[in-house]
Amino acid sequence: MKSYLFKSLALVAALTLTPRGYADDTVKVGVLHSLSGTMAISETSLRDVLLYAFDEINTAGGIKVGDKSYKIEPVVVDGASNWPLFAEKAKQLLEVDKVAVTFGCWTSVSRKSVLPVFEQDKGLLFYPVQYEGEELSKNIFYTAEAVNQQATPAVDYMLKQGKKKFYLIGTDYVYPQTTDLILYKYLLLHGIPAENIGGGFRKDDSGKVISAGKYVPFGHTDFQQIVADIKQFAASGDACVLNTVNGDSNVPLFKEIAAAGLTAADCPVVSFSLAEDELRALPTKDLVGELGCWTYFMSLNTPANKMFLKSWNTWVKSQDHPGVVKEKRVVDSPMVLSYDGVYLWKAAVEKAGSFDVDKVTAALESGDISFEGPGGLITMQKNHHATKNVYIGETKANGQFKILETFPQVYGEPFLLKDLDAKLTAATK
Amino acid sequence: MDQKRGLCVHSVSVQTRRGEQGRGPKTSAPFYKEPILKFLSILLCGILSVLAAQAQDESAVREKLAHAVLSGSADQPKLVGELADTGSKIVHDVLIAWTRDGVFIFETNNVRIPVLLEEQTDANGNARAIRIDDGKFLVDDQKKELHFAATDLNALDTDARLRTVIQQTLDSLALSDPDPDARENAILKLGNSHKLNNISVLQARLAKEKNPAVVRAINEAIAMLQLGDADPQVQITAAQQLAALKSIGSLDMLKALAENKSSPPAVVQAAKIATSRINEHVVAVNFFGTIFRGLSLGSILLIVTLGLAITFGLMGIINMAHGEMIAIGAYTTYVVQNLFGSGFAFSINLPFHFFGHPVGFGLSLPGMNATGWWYESYFLFALPLSFLMAALAGLALERSVIRFLYRRPLESLLATWGVSLVMQQLFRMVFGANNVQVSSPSWLLGHFTLNDVSMGYNRVFVIVFAVLIVIGTWMLLTKTPLGLLIRAVMQNRDMASCMGVRTARVNMMTFAFGSGLAGLAGAFLSQIGNVGPSLGQSYIVDSFMTVVVGGVGSIVGTVYAAVGIGTSDQVLQQVTGSPVTGKIVVLVCIILFLQWKPGGLFSIRSRSLD
Repeated sequence: MKSYLFKSLALVAALTLTPRGYADDTVKVGVLHSLSGTMAISETSLRDVLLYAFDEINTAGGIKVGDKSYKIEPVVVDGASNWPLFAEKAKQLLEVDKVAVTFGCWTSVSRKSVLPVFEQDKGLLFYPVQYEGEELSKNIFYTAEAVNQQATPAVDYMLKQGKKKFYLIGTDYVYPQTTDLILYKYLLLHGIPAENIGGGFRKDDSGKVISAGKYVPFGHTDFQQIVADIKQFAASGDACVLNTVNGDSNVPLFKEIAAAGLTAADCPVVSFSLAEDELRALPTKDLVGELGCWTYFMSLNTPANKMFLKSWNTWVKSQDHPGVVKEKRVVDSPMVLSYDGVYLWKAAVEKAGSFDVDKVTAALESGDISFEGPGGLITMQKNHHATKNVYIGETKANGQFKILETFPQVYGEPFLLKDLDAKLTAATK
Repeated sequence: MDQKRGLCVHSVSVQTRRGEQGRGPKTSAPFYKEPILKFLSILLCGILSVLAAQAQDESAVREKLAHAVLSGSADQPKLVGELADTGSKIVHDVLIAWTRDGVFIFETNNVRIPVLLEEQTDANGNARAIRIDDGKFLVDDQKKELHFAATDLNALDTDARLRTVIQQTLDSLALSDPDPDARENAILKLGNSHKLNNISVLQARLAKEKNPAVVRAINEAIAMLQLGDADPQVQITAAQQLAALKSIGSLDMLKALAENKSSPPAVVQAAKIATSRINEHVVAVNFFGTIFRGLSLGSILLIVTLGLAITFGLMGIINMAHGEMIAIGAYTTYVVQNLFGSGFAFSINLPFHFFGHPVGFGLSLPGMNATGWWYESYFLFALPLSFLMAALAGLALERSVIRFLYRRPLESLLATWGVSLVMQQLFRMVFGANNVQVSSPSWLLGHFTLNDVSMGYNRVFVIVFAVLIVIGTWMLLTKTPLGLLIRAVMQNRDMASCMGVRTARVNMMTFAFGSGLAGLAGAFLSQIGNVGPSLGQSYIVDSFMTVVVGGVGSIVGTVYAAVGIGTSDQVLQQVTGSPVTGKIVVLVCIILFLQWKPGGLFSIRSRSLD
């Protein structure tokens, strides 16, 4: 412990000792994403948008601390879709490069892998991708959608549409499992009986449900049996599917749904892992009318979003940074939340008047750090999650979403399970 | 869609002109023809008046529609709701377009004209605008047709409340929809509505309905609504009716009725009997459905494996690049699709320079921009082409690598694995690391339902296709001179060579044929799943497994193994309720089976394999 204290003191000392008077003082900022391997397709976009945010801030004069302004100097490292490597790279960023903050990680498992490193070395990480909650590290700020900013608003919307039966399907790993368990309890609490929740349950010895819904492995291709099951489930009408299937398994899933004659009008599918970026690789023709729920859609018709898209597009076109794809770029929620994270951190640093992790954390936790981002106002909360707008959208043939409903300024709540359990026991008594 | 309506109006005017001509010869006609002509002219007048009435009716409907669309006030939902009585197709089309942001407002001189945009666009991507109020094209002062892009005009917005009303209006309209499936869906919705007053609506439709499937659906819906009746006798009859109809959709309602403590015992009894009858039906449906799905999965496995059964089974080459042959077939389908569409182009810049110049190559093929059935038929051209492309790739692979390794299976394993990696990277460079989109032709998209077992056309197609391929392969191997040579070389290469068979050539042809079959598999897989650089990887293990279980060297064994593995996978999924557990059980069974019979189902003893 002592050595870490010493190190952080040294870091603070190093920062305060940097010679004053130079116009181009810089601060090192880490970018930790997979730029190779399976996750590269998704995570490279986040690297791009972060570089864009840094450029934007630098052009506007940098970060003002006291009477000085600092330019951001990005340190980009590649996690290579390799979870242990993420931890090593995080250590390198914190101990060798001594970055003031890191923006990174996509999968929950990569976040769990770097979490101890950030806690040990007293780092600061901004995490931008929707996740299952049930976690709160004092060294991580989650601009990501918590379950109550994506999955439960979607269920609220479906309940309002008069849906009475819900089928849960997902890929077999931590995010879908946890989300579906929360949704199962949430649905019970909203008067949907267990027999109207499809996909099956797994119970422990005491009969307590520990897993709800149907799960398929990564890269699963044969959805015949599952879709036949959904069709029987939906035969009585008023049914919908809550889909947490990840990645390209969605292609055979939606092709099978289309072939079985299940339409979005009879039995809509709400997908939690399909944003504009993923839709580029999916047959959108088969997905028209299916729903999505995020805290940002590219089709948002606000001046802030239009301005953001315009300047982002110009930046992308003019980039000569290696690996930045220039053609057919789209923007989606994880990208915007990454971007928001940079500005939230900047605001906190300027408020704290220091890059020191403790001071910045205190500023972020104060609850008055907010940013008018492309998706609307986003405010960091005391519990390290962010209050933001939630949107329900309907997929269009061009791969964009038509926004159907807005839930303004939803408070991010990472711990839902305990609360739901308590409410459920209270309800049964 | 609205265009059709416009044409209809047009044809009325043509009729009128013909009618005038028709009356022409009347005066000069001989007397004996007069009654007939009189009759004809009366008939014609009758038709004309009906058409005129329709036209008038239509213009009234259009006016009403335009009024409802423009109103924008609090009574808008009411106005939209009233449109349900018209039963008009225009109303249906406009409402659908409205929910999809397809109704636009054209504003000029403070006059707001609601329009739809024609689907057909001109070279600039602009389309003519069809006025909702009179069905004509929007023109400017000089009577010139105006062209717009969707972004030029303001789309009319809808809110949640309006969409609900639009949906209800569409439901009522759908009851008289010409498409039986749409009628059935609308009926099902009414059946689930729990509103007894819908019974009269449905009964009115029942009197007019001729389609047996729709009649059945109406009866089902009426019975479902009657379950909520206050009279126990009606409820009991309804439950019996539902049991007789084997209505899966009513299962929830019947269960609720059986568990409802306030319902009379006779009703509960009837509901329970109906529930158990329907449950029996569900079991039967699941049984036959599972068999069908097993056959379809087995057929996919079979198509994917058959090529390997020849290259690995007959020739004994462990070809790790088999999966990439499948991918070649799938990508060929993608390219053919693009050639029928807007064309295909790629360019690759190699990561090094030659005297300061970047090195790269590329290809650009123009597209035919086909539409309609011509575009839909692209898949029929893609099938033979994917066979050909994969066969050519197989030929090249055999000539360049494999022919040196016939007697060294381990080296061929390593070499072909290397080839597979190279090919995957090549796919990434040409087609990108992302999956590409291959759209299914519409004739493979639908499905039909046989006694509640739904069968997708693509699934039926794959089964028929597999049967054809197996028959074709069997014919080739047993009924042709080439087949004779192939079998001779495979049984004993040296002996065949001594007899004067050009074994190198036969090897080459056989390998190309096996690879071609893999290409065909790829063309088909593009219809049900992803097309990406690692497409082949997901099938290679399954392929080897199937060949080994079937017995190396036996085509019949491969057929049995594929269908057997496919069916047991689906059955176990159904039984265990989880795709993962199902697959694990299948794999464990295969391991145990191979312990017991290492040679597979049909082990063949041949000298080349000893």
